[in-house]
Amino acid sequence: MKRLGFLLAAFMLFITGCVKTESDVKDDAKSAPKGKAPTIEILGMSTSEDSMNILRDQLTKNGFEVKLNIQPDYGSFTAQKEAGNYDLSVNSWTTVTGNPDYAVRSLFTSDGDNSLFADKKADELVGKAAKQLPKEYQKTYKELEQHVVLDNAYIVPMFTSYKAQAVNNQVVNESTVRLPKSRAQVWEKYDFVDPSKRASQPLIVHQQIASLTSLDPIKGNDGSINTLNTNMYVRLVNLTDDDKVVSDGSLSLNHAIAEGSKDYYFLLRDDIHFAAVNNKKAVDTGERVGAEDVVFSLNRAKDQKSVPDHRTYSLHENMDSISIINDLSELDGKTADGKTIRKALEAGINGEIKQLVTDKTQANNESGAYQVVKITTVNPFPQVLNYLAHQSAGIVSKKQVESINTYDVANFDINKDVPYGDQRTITEGASYNNHLYASGPYILTYKNDYEAHFVKNPAYMPGTENEAKVNEIVVKFIQDADSALSALRNGEIHIFNGVPETKYNLVKEDKKLTLQQNKSNGVSYLAFNMKGREVSKSVALRKAILYSVNQDEFISFYQGNKMKAVSTVSPLVDTGLKVVADSKKAKEFLNEYLSNK
Amino acid sequence: MTTQQEFALKQSQQYKNANFSVCLSFALTLLFLFNAYDFAQGTWNFVWGIVTAAYFVISILQGAIALLLKKDLLTYGAIQKRTRLLSAVQLLSLFAGNLFTAAFAFRMLKKKDSIEYTLAYYMFLTQFLVFAISLFNLFKPYVSNLFMPAMILLIFAMVIELFLVIILAKTDVEQGVKPLLKWLGIIVFLTGLTGNVFGLILGYSLVMKSRSNDASTIDKWNQFWMSMTNNFTAMLGFLFVFLMLAISIASYGTFVSSFATENDYGALLLEPSLAHPFGTDNFGRDVFSRIVFGARISLVVGLLTTLIPLVIGGFLGAISGYYQKSIDNIIMRCLDVLYAVPGILLAIAIIAAFGSSTFNLIIALSVGSIPTYARTMRANVLIVSNLEFVEAAKALGENEWKIIFKQIVPNAFAPMIVKASLTIGSAVIATSSLSFLGLGVEPHIPEWGNILKIGSMYLETNPHLAIFPGIAIILLVLSFNFLGDGLRDALDPKLDS
Repeated sequence: MKRLGFLLAAFMLFITGCVKTESDVKDDAKSAPKGKAPTIEILGMSTSEDSMNILRDQLTKNGFEVKLNIQPDYGSFTAQKEAGNYDLSVNSWTTVTGNPDYAVRSLFTSDGDNSLFADKKADELVGKAAKQLPKEYQKTYKELEQHVVLDNAYIVPMFTSYKAQAVNNQVVNESTVRLPKSRAQVWEKYDFVDPSKRASQPLIVHQQIASLTSLDPIKGNDGSINTLNTNMYVRLVNLTDDDKVVSDGSLSLNHAIAEGSKDYYFLLRDDIHFAAVNNKKAVDTGERVGAEDVVFSLNRAKDQKSVPDHRTYSLHENMDSISIINDLSELDGKTADGKTIRKALEAGINGEIKQLVTDKTQANNESGAYQVVKITTVNPFPQVLNYLAHQSAGIVSKKQVESINTYDVANFDINKDVPYGDQRTITEGASYNNHLYASGPYILTYKNDYEAHFVKNPAYMPGTENEAKVNEIVVKFIQDADSALSALRNGEIHIFNGVPETKYNLVKEDKKLTLQQNKSNGVSYLAFNMKGREVSKSVALRKAILYSVNQDEFISFYQGNKMKAVSTVSPLVDTGLKVVADSKKAKEFLNEYLSNK
Repeated sequence: MTTQQEFALKQSQQYKNANFSVCLSFALTLLFLFNAYDFAQGTWNFVWGIVTAAYFVISILQGAIALLLKKDLLTYGAIQKRTRLLSAVQLLSLFAGNLFTAAFAFRMLKKKDSIEYTLAYYMFLTQFLVFAISLFNLFKPYVSNLFMPAMILLIFAMVIELFLVIILAKTDVEQGVKPLLKWLGIIVFLTGLTGNVFGLILGYSLVMKSRSNDASTIDKWNQFWMSMTNNFTAMLGFLFVFLMLAISIASYGTFVSSFATENDYGALLLEPSLAHPFGTDNFGRDVFSRIVFGARISLVVGLLTTLIPLVIGGFLGAISGYYQKSIDNIIMRCLDVLYAVPGILLAIAIIAAFGSSTFNLIIALSVGSIPTYARTMRANVLIVSNLEFVEAAKALGENEWKIIFKQIVPNAFAPMIVKASLTIGSAVIATSSLSFLGLGVEPHIPEWGNILKIGSMYLETNPHLAIFPGIAIILLVLSFNFLGDGLRDALDPKLDS
């Protein structure tokens, strides 16, 4: 018995020697911070719960206390944000115009419509880069990133996303579904595998957010309306799948840039009429979309005071004037490559420009009567074309908008006044009173909490390749990406934009589905609360957080389907900068913060 | 078959137990067989093959024992020695992890059913399982700082318990206990404080029997526990609940919490292996450790959300049952209003208003079930307060509060216990459901509902992420239900045999 006990003891001792304990492994004990790090409150939506968990883990490992504030939807997220109940908020930014100026203007300038902070040097750099050509602006954006991210840590970049879209190839002809890098989905191209279903069956797509900010293009610029407004309002120009500005499928037949990059000319087409909704059906109003509407739409787009809650003016403030040309001789001016503007505008159209008209009802392309719009920018600014391709530059009806927006902008009262495009007017129920006039291929008839119905505009370029093919498009609102994927797989929706990174294989293995992938301009970043918090005051604390966030870990969590980022401009301009996570630096900055406190 | 033989067969708890074990053992064999074959590639897995073979042998042996038992009972009317000896071989099945046959084997080793012996071997089984589960940590890259001392303590406790099993197998302690056993009882009671509640019960039983001269108390105790220990499913329920409790406590020493909470991007979504018996989740956290740590929250929340309404509802019910008319009306009508709000909705509303945290979760789930407890208590108090001993107390001029809480409540409490044990299960489910919906505890905290939520997202590609927490929830709820059934059988005078 004694011997047995002895043997047992010896055996235990042996085992003890073999086994590594936690303190053996972690004896490089973290250099203890000089005091208690402040609790960092991270605000985000439940859809970014995974990213928040990774952040929590990374910040905790670097000595911070972390509190998560997870809000179920975009509305409550914004409410919490406006109330200032956060230190860090998880945001994403997609440059839907495909030009770098947009990626920085509204976030990094003091008077931007989504301004994150006020910094004079940042304002200067954004302004300087806007005037430059691609070869020169790379350096300026590098300086901007250095200043905003690395020197002052106003934002913490997390990753750049890919775009992934899954299509039910049994129902939808997958070759008609484009996946552009920047612009929103192109509904007028969509077609069924069996074209005989165009009139009888709706094509069902998906969107995360059910609460629509506004269907007035200038009053919203977020995921809830970008796709919808893009398909409801035609623009002067469009973006191709790889972000080139073209006139294809837009209100202009052609466009030209005059020498000096300050004057821009657009030759308008005459085969688009506004559609309205009558009894949940789209009807042709007979009113042509013309130059008067363009002038009206762009003037209100650049004027901050044209509507209450103007969310896109900073994109358009580069435009100085918009006018209708009535003098044919003005088109004799030269473009940058020495041709006349007239030649450039006539390229590829049948016939020639015989007459310019200022009244849209007089336009008749067949007989050579055209309308031409001229836009002059404040400074030479070629990127203005990208902004004109954005949904906020969508053309609305002068007549209709003026007849609805009769309120006084300064004394606007949301409870009393109903502005054009208010979602209450198209939501089923007592307040339903659809007053929309759509210039694009589709028009919204009605919506509820679960879906929105769109029907084809009967007077949108009929007989051309741009005429919408499918008669009805239904947008289902499904917030959770996994539920949306299930909906796609069981046929409830036909196209799903935004397949989660961890589910690519699932889609690839499903024979019914086709996965389309493209790079995107979407960057996820953390914005600091710059008002009244510890992080607002201390650069060192912000930098401690900046160096705690490890982008490699995000990339491995998303199974390699993310890219690194420095700022929102990263997908558009390669500045060569990098943010490298560094626990040591993070701790130094944290200690610096604590000793200055 | 004569009626006498039939009676012997029907009366034999061992025979029932043997058949039950055969069924469960075969079911597990089939499950493992299913696991061992890879349908996609048409190959066999070596390790699972061995486990399947072991369980198959155990099941066959158990089948043979069941047949022998039947033959014994039919021919002799009693179990024969060779059958008991053959059963002893089944003790080895413990090393294959087959609890059902091992528990049966222990049971067969003692001729006469004994409360203390049964409690002792269940205590040993619990300790053994805690030890075996903790042992898996050796496959991890490193173990916790307290791992070795904790494991030595566990072994020490196991040795004591094994001795106890042997001693109790040889002695009969139904009516009286030698003074020496009293000290053993105290030691056992102390080991019970490690979460192995069998120890607390057994220790209390031994100490009480050695000190008490009141035959009626001992008799009551014996009757209750005899009914419980004879009920195999109730004992399995106890076993799992106490195992969870014991492992929750032991995990402070034997498990590394960072494996369960810290992300490891080098080990995302791994298949089950020895280092990660239940695989890893999408953040590279060890699901096995998460489930073990999650047991703490699930149990604590489950127990507290039962205890709080039991106390509050019991108190309100007792008052309104005793003081008739006006007070009764006021209290019960108020509770009716509360009763009209669906419990889970109320919980969601409370959490939406006050934010999600473990404390709020407990409050939210407790409030909703106060009315049902109050109703049960009131009904019982109404019956008991008309009995003669209450009349007698009143006649003696006893203080009313004393009458309620010393005379009436103890005699009206049995149905409350049964109800409580049956509703713990639903409390555990409610906790998990709320976490699953993202309303319970914070998402990174290992709670079974949270773990299941992640699993639900990977149901097709990594099903084990959902299966294991799902099984844990099912087993815990099932155990509480079995336990509740056992308690009802033991406490209900109408079911007295």
